[in-house]
Amino acid sequence: MPDVSVTIDGTQINVPVGTNVVDAARLAGVAVPVFCYHPKMKPVGMCRMCLVEVYTPKVDPATRQVVMGEDGKPVLALMMNKLQTGCTTPISEGMVVNTASDRVKFAQKGVLEFLLTSHPLDCPVCDKGGECPLQNLTMQWGPDSSRFDYEDKIHFEKPIPLGDLILLDRERCILCSRCVRFEDELADDNVLGFGSRGRSWEIISKSTPAFDSKFSGNTTDICPVGALTSSDFRFKARVWELKSTPSVCNLCPVGCNTSLDMRYNELMRVMPRENDAVNEIWVCDKGRYGHRYAVQENRLTTPLIKRNGEFVSATWEQAYSLIAERLGSYSGAQVAGLAGPKLPNEDLFSFARLFRENLGSNNLDHRPGSPADLPLDDLPRTYGVGKGTNLMTLGKGTAVLVIGADPEEEAPLYQLRLRAIAQRGGDLTVVSGYPTKLERSATRKVRVKPGTEAQFALALVQAVAAEKLASEEVLGSGRLKFSDEYRRVLAAHKFDDLVAATGLAREVVITTAKAFASAEHGIIVYGRSAAADPAIPQALAAFAALTGKLGKANSGLIALRPGGNFRGALDMGVRPDAAGQPGLSAQQVWQQAGTGVKAVYIAALNPAAENPAAAQALQKLDFVVVQDLFLTETAQYADVVLPAAAVIEREGTFTNAERREQRFRQARQAPANLPADWQSFQAVAQLLAERAPVAVAARTLKKGAKVFTPEAPQGWTAMLTSDVNDMVTRSVSGYNAASYSALSTSRGAWGRQPNEAVYYDGTSYENTEGVGIQIAASAEDSRTTLQLNLSAPALRPVGELVLLPVARAYDGGDWVRGSKLSARQVPAHIIMSVADTARLDVGIGELVTVSSAAGSITLPVQIETGLDLGVALLPEVRGSTLGALLTGAQTAITVVKA
Amino acid sequence: MPPLTEHIVLRDLDIPNIRDFDVYLQHGGYEAFRSAVTEKTPAEIIGMVKDAGLRGRGGAGFPTGVKWGFLPKDVFPRYLLCNCDESEPGTFNNHQIIDRNPHQLIEGIALSAYAVECHTAYIYIRGEFAAAARTLDAAIQNAYAKGFLGKNILGTGYDLDVFVHRGAGAYICGEETALMESLEGKIGQPRLKPPFPAVAGLYAKPTIINNVETLANVPMIIGKGVQWYRQFGTEKSPGTKAFSLSGHVNNPGNYELPFGLPLRELIYAPEYGGGMRGDRPVKIVIPGGASAPWLTADKLDITLDYEGVAAAGSMLGSGAVIVLDETVSAVELAYKMDEFFKHESCGKCTPCREGTWYLTKVLHRVSTGHGHANDIPLLHDVYNQMAGNCFCLLGESAVSPIRSALKLFPEEFEAAIRNGTPRQAPRLAIPLVAVAAD
Repeated sequence: MPDVSVTIDGTQINVPVGTNVVDAARLAGVAVPVFCYHPKMKPVGMCRMCLVEVYTPKVDPATRQVVMGEDGKPVLALMMNKLQTGCTTPISEGMVVNTASDRVKFAQKGVLEFLLTSHPLDCPVCDKGGECPLQNLTMQWGPDSSRFDYEDKIHFEKPIPLGDLILLDRERCILCSRCVRFEDELADDNVLGFGSRGRSWEIISKSTPAFDSKFSGNTTDICPVGALTSSDFRFKARVWELKSTPSVCNLCPVGCNTSLDMRYNELMRVMPRENDAVNEIWVCDKGRYGHRYAVQENRLTTPLIKRNGEFVSATWEQAYSLIAERLGSYSGAQVAGLAGPKLPNEDLFSFARLFRENLGSNNLDHRPGSPADLPLDDLPRTYGVGKGTNLMTLGKGTAVLVIGADPEEEAPLYQLRLRAIAQRGGDLTVVSGYPTKLERSATRKVRVKPGTEAQFALALVQAVAAEKLASEEVLGSGRLKFSDEYRRVLAAHKFDDLVAATGLAREVVITTAKAFASAEHGIIVYGRSAAADPAIPQALAAFAALTGKLGKANSGLIALRPGGNFRGALDMGVRPDAAGQPGLSAQQVWQQAGTGVKAVYIAALNPAAENPAAAQALQKLDFVVVQDLFLTETAQYADVVLPAAAVIEREGTFTNAERREQRFRQARQAPANLPADWQSFQAVAQLLAERAPVAVAARTLKKGAKVFTPEAPQGWTAMLTSDVNDMVTRSVSGYNAASYSALSTSRGAWGRQPNEAVYYDGTSYENTEGVGIQIAASAEDSRTTLQLNLSAPALRPVGELVLLPVARAYDGGDWVRGSKLSARQVPAHIIMSVADTARLDVGIGELVTVSSAAGSITLPVQIETGLDLGVALLPEVRGSTLGALLTGAQTAITVVKA
Repeated sequence: MPPLTEHIVLRDLDIPNIRDFDVYLQHGGYEAFRSAVTEKTPAEIIGMVKDAGLRGRGGAGFPTGVKWGFLPKDVFPRYLLCNCDESEPGTFNNHQIIDRNPHQLIEGIALSAYAVECHTAYIYIRGEFAAAARTLDAAIQNAYAKGFLGKNILGTGYDLDVFVHRGAGAYICGEETALMESLEGKIGQPRLKPPFPAVAGLYAKPTIINNVETLANVPMIIGKGVQWYRQFGTEKSPGTKAFSLSGHVNNPGNYELPFGLPLRELIYAPEYGGGMRGDRPVKIVIPGGASAPWLTADKLDITLDYEGVAAAGSMLGSGAVIVLDETVSAVELAYKMDEFFKHESCGKCTPCREGTWYLTKVLHRVSTGHGHANDIPLLHDVYNQMAGNCFCLLGESAVSPIRSALKLFPEEFEAAIRNGTPRQAPRLAIPLVAVAAD
């Protein structure tokens, strides 16, 4: 965009066309105070705090030329002959802005004096005190005393709940409407509004349940006063007592940067930490309120060994010795390791190494082994979005295709970020078989027949040939190689048949393909429903490759899969197919339990919870180790249970869906000085390496707690987590540059300016601790050959109804322990169409029995008006026992009234 | 200048029962519209309105034809809104037009809609005008029945629908963008401008919004011609204005005058105000509704047109002329008026929300004899903190009474603060004037 030259308080500066005066001043190093303006939202000019003098060159109406004065400079005229709000005034060439004249100062003082007339000034008991924009702006721009009588203040009942998480203090509220606008503009949750008028004007909650938004906590951050407080932090601590530790949320694959605000060893609150390329300045409520599990009383603190059917406490030496002795007694094929995709990279790397090197086993998986498991898919490693991708910078010229995903449920921040791309002029296509929230923000809402996303994706590939949309550059490079299967599948699936299967008009597919192919940047986001059928990611990768949307920044695939660090699990090799002869997947492990497989080591996974088959299989095994924070359903079947430090009690790294590796630090001392997961893996490996039970060196700390201190046999020599990371950088492809020091670099983060506090003040956390490093996609190396493959779409099962599992953010997982969100967890239920429920004569909340070839369960019904006849959705929440029902990506079911 | 022999908008004074559809038709009703849609292009209508020099009667006095010309070309749909939120204290001429001459308004809307090439028009009427809303609905039904509204009007292929929407009783909804918010079903608060309504108004589509009286002028301009119309009024303010005269005059009511008559004539002529109650001298004249700066008795010879009133330092506004005699205290009057603005402040911007509230707080204590020694400089500060700094004109309007009062009658404030007990009890400063529904 072209720049225009403006002068702000004597500083001349060139800023892009369209910049408003407040932002332009910021670039010139001049602070203009604001309350209602927020750079992430449209300006509204309500609070009048940013009033400035704006002069524009006088233009002769006859000649349309700038009138020049005697000094040879343009004659200036005060715009509209009054002060202007800087936030709503776009700059123009030759503009002169004065932010510090007497007139401006009088107006600023006046606005602050007005705001304070109805403000209670209860700073000593206000949670915002110490990080409050109203306090700060009053100090810098306000009057030194008030002429208003205290008894003139308006009093309200305080606080009143806006919802179960957020409380409103109407006395403190200065009615800037940031919260309402955030929910409407960014979150697309029309849940807040206004009631009454004048001085009684107030924020109200419009939704049922009240303030029903997955992003509600952000409103407390952007509230420029203490009007909105969260029930999670209210009256817990004064903010200046808090010590901030940089962290990364692992509850979904977004990888939001957070700050863990601690008072001594207590977690007081979780706050978003800026990272433009990941979460900007936001975090969802799950990430904000879902990290209290670590501070629960019922954490495991000592190893447990089952003797005569009862768990008894054991020492670490006893536990490690027993594990090493028992695991070492089987052949590699007889042992299996399952480590959850929420573990950090260092732990996953150590776990994979323990199994491959010390136990000689490739039976590794990061999935729980349920029929609901998604097939392995590592296509984003090749075709994923390239290094330097930053969704925040995308708008016009970008096409985003979201398919088989419900971003708000699977990775909530993508709801905000993809919607924002569409708002900035990007082309957003949302393809889904059932209603999703992101559809509402789409440029093109494409509702396919449920379960035909694969046909749609293949039709896109066919459209590339039919409409000649292939990128000359990519085709000419000779990098693309097509498998025989690719040609066979294309030949067997005609465009018209594929389109007919989806129930769409062919133009819809063609316009989508054209919009994507012709865009400068193209991103494909696929999620739970798309990943269930391997044909879909393959077709999407082929489509992206053919249209040239690969191997560069801001183009390529983004997969959303369960587990905050699923990407790390794939990269670190916690998967059966990573090296040599493929081992058993988790599902195969349960099938062969007791026969082929004798012993299993499970870390940070709870397969028994949702899958009765896993629970049965666990009983058939000779030896089970479970390593977790709590005594889970799965741990009940263990022979040895090892506790571990929670994420907030150690350091490490996670890799997010866009393959950005990010570092988190230790915020809290673990109870009983529990070791990190990798330390236990290393201890077992060391013992195995010595091929004999060896007493592990242990030392006693002051308080008598024991901590494991690794010795140094056979290369298992890590003392610190960074030592493990060094090994990762040496041995994992793509991670060679991702050292801890590199991950801790913040250059390129949102460039802070002097007086930045004026805009983002209070509760936004500057990122000085590292924005992470994006691991390159292999297609970025122009020498890589790209082997394209396709498969036939999974056959749609024949049955009365087809069941599709869908992801839910509030899934009732272990993270919810101690969280204010526990009330928002929904019990297991099945979602059906209006027509199907009418046919069955069941109403909302009534029980139905759902049966498939695998089994049957009884659940209450919810009705979704946008859903097609013949389809039922089963949300993956705790207690849904999905595993008992599924037979594949799609499952034929019958439903009867219970 | 003699009284008008022929009214332009208050034609009920010339033609008995013109509110009846048959009577309206007998007197040439809808002929202007018929000739327009069958013989004239929209551009010709706009040209005539421009040439006639018709200026918006709602307050700002902006040339109507020029406003219509702001519509971006080729952007459809467009909307025409008729602003009948008549809420400015002292203004009651729209009510009379709707009650007694509703068909002329509907014809004006139809003509204007045709001129701006829109197919949907809304009449936003303040909620309290329930009977008037029913009258309008009936008049619209009459027009539909005769084929003046609806699909394929008079066989020309032109379609137009007109709807009446009742507001919920907020002064701010007379502000054009707040009116649109309210019409869209949202809370009635002004929008940021730009974009201006002509570019992005109702439902973000190009929108023209005109006052009732403005639109009621259009059939006469089109029907009788530009020359006929321009014989009334002045060069810069052609036509007539229906003034709402209230206060301490002997004959309060609506009087349609050609622009350019002296203010004195409106107050004292026997056919208009008929002089002051009890022959007391005039103390204060508020010439354009509560938002207009006050005038004193030495300004009675100004002419009642946009330029004349502006030259005297006030504004013609909605043409609500409030005349008050010496029995009124300037302090109380300012208090009463700002009490109104405080009550009607929407709360969106800080200076208006807090400023009106604080002005009335201080004015109340001064007027009840509890003023503080430094209240006069404080009042000056408070209104200056508001003046020019508010989001819309409501806040600016609230400055007007207190600024006028302090400028014209500072001694009354000093006396009120010094003596402590200026009056017994506050009185209603503005006598109510009832316009009978029938």
